Amino acid sequence: MGEKTIVLGVIGSDVHAVGLRVLDYALRSAGFDVVNIGVLSSQEDFIKAALETGARAILVSSLYGHAELDCQGFKEKLIEAGLGDILLYIGGNLGVGKKSWEEVEKRFKELGFHRVYPPKTMPDEVIKDLKEDLNIG
Amino acid sequence: MVLNNKKWDEKFWLRMREEVLNTWHTGKDVNLKLGIEYHKSLPLEKQFDYVLKKGEKEGKILLQPRAGVPILKEHIELLKYLQENEADLLPTTIDSYTRQNRYKEAQFGLDESLKEGKSLLNGFPAVNYGVRGCREIIENVRIPVEVRHGSPDARLLAEITLSAGFTSFEGGGITYNIPYSKDVPLENSLLYWQYVDYLVGYYAENGIIINRESFGPLTGTLVPPCISISIGIIEALLAAEQGVKSFSVGYGEGGNIIQDVASLRVMKKLTKKYLEEFGYKDIHLTTVLHHWMGGFPEDEARAFAVITYGTIAGFLGSVSKIIVKTPQEAIGIPTKEANAQALRNTRQTLQMLENQYFIDQKLVEEEEKVIEEEVKSILDRVYSLGEGDWVIGTIRSFSAGVLDVPFAPSKFIHGRVMPIRDNNGAIRFFDFGNLPIPLEIKNFHREKIEERVKFEKRPVSFQMVLDDIYAISKGRLIGRPKVEGKR
Repeated sequence: MGEKTIVLGVIGSDVHAVGLRVLDYALRSAGFDVVNIGVLSSQEDFIKAALETGARAILVSSLYGHAELDCQGFKEKLIEAGLGDILLYIGGNLGVGKKSWEEVEKRFKELGFHRVYPPKTMPDEVIKDLKEDLNIG
Repeated sequence: MVLNNKKWDEKFWLRMREEVLNTWHTGKDVNLKLGIEYHKSLPLEKQFDYVLKKGEKEGKILLQPRAGVPILKEHIELLKYLQENEADLLPTTIDSYTRQNRYKEAQFGLDESLKEGKSLLNGFPAVNYGVRGCREIIENVRIPVEVRHGSPDARLLAEITLSAGFTSFEGGGITYNIPYSKDVPLENSLLYWQYVDYLVGYYAENGIIINRESFGPLTGTLVPPCISISIGIIEALLAAEQGVKSFSVGYGEGGNIIQDVASLRVMKKLTKKYLEEFGYKDIHLTTVLHHWMGGFPEDEARAFAVITYGTIAGFLGSVSKIIVKTPQEAIGIPTKEANAQALRNTRQTLQMLENQYFIDQKLVEEEEKVIEEEVKSILDRVYSLGEGDWVIGTIRSFSAGVLDVPFAPSKFIHGRVMPIRDNNGAIRFFDFGNLPIPLEIKNFHREKIEERVKFEKRPVSFQMVLDDIYAISKGRLIGRPKVEGKR
């Protein structure tokens, strides 16, 4: 697969499928090759899909509040798999309870994510960032 | 054993039960006899079915929030706070690891939560706490508590929580599989839920009535009424066969009040009719409205409007209870204060609506006719595909697309139906997939969508569906096209 391949999925025991469907549609419409691994995906599922397809970015979605637990050690595993440089985004409802967005963003940047998106981010913003980060027009 | 819609043989159940109770160490503390004795000692006010009946008698719509945190003490405090803030029925929402039977991960999340003194799980890990921990909940509140989750295999969860004194249990082999899992075959989840229903039936045989509730909203995203009603009826029939005596069918608010009221009426009427027709004449049937289950506005003032608006549909549709959303829905799991605010908001709305059944009966009846015919033709086909067996019919229907759910993660469905709003915000079919909808009604849907196409001067497309998905969170019911310079 080529320059525009990205892996998309919902991590952990999360089953929220609607946003994924929407992102899939928007990313395809924007010309990306989307490898959608679906809901209930483990860290290993993401890594396997990225390795198999030579993807340039992994987009993780989480809506149910366990993202912090589900993403622990993900970056380390990516490095181990030789994917230390892959672009890593996450978005959704990332914390349980009311926490400031700055806190949430900081926490996930520490976990190795390049970009962290709050709830209600529209696909256009992600697409713009992806194109910029991947240097594609 | 062949999977079909026949009441289980007790020996078969007992054999499976041994396996189930051994899947996590807390299973060994479950004792049916002691559980039944405990239920017998519960005051009426703590019994779900009793409170439902009392609500009906008094003409009062009951309110139930969603709530569950991992630390027991905090969970009890949360529930006590909600019972002082207009909740008539309490929930215990189970965390997502437990829902997937990942008790080890739930334990880790629970341990970390205790260590850090904050909630890292999105619910209460009831299996990990076992009967004793769960019973502390029942001991410390004065109203009934229901287990709410989303688990395709809730056998152990049911054993533990029912034995602990919970008096209602949500879910079903369809509604807790298709929207909640990716690769659990229906054959499995239907079997697991027969187990749960048989267990509830076992309690009933011993004089303990436990309420069972189907999860009507499914994916919570523009689900056309005929889909959730058909599935609710099937789950009621399956539960009744295993001996369940108190059953609630649910419906997620769609947003067009005429359509919502019509749906609620059809849901009650047809569920009753099917139960009676198939010989289950002693079921106490109740109805539930879930406030809007899709995306919410972030602005709490706007979110309250969505909540209040949904309450009106529930009132006009004369439901038995409303499952209340909170103003923090868009952000994640709400604080207890936000939860209580929503309950007080809903109570205030209901009490102001008292006796005001203002609605255009003619329009509601027209809509009722459409929904009724859709449901009947779907169920006719399910029954004939099953050669007279609802379980077999369900499995065959999903694989043939005769039953289908929009936006569901399960790979065992067609996933071809696509909903869209019409020009009045009612949910119609943009793509019927393989649903057996009569041609005349298909044309009705198309005409309704055409009105919107003309009004918006744009063709029907997936973009229009996307606009509908996000419309409410952005401030309106229908996903109108963007106008330059305007929000």
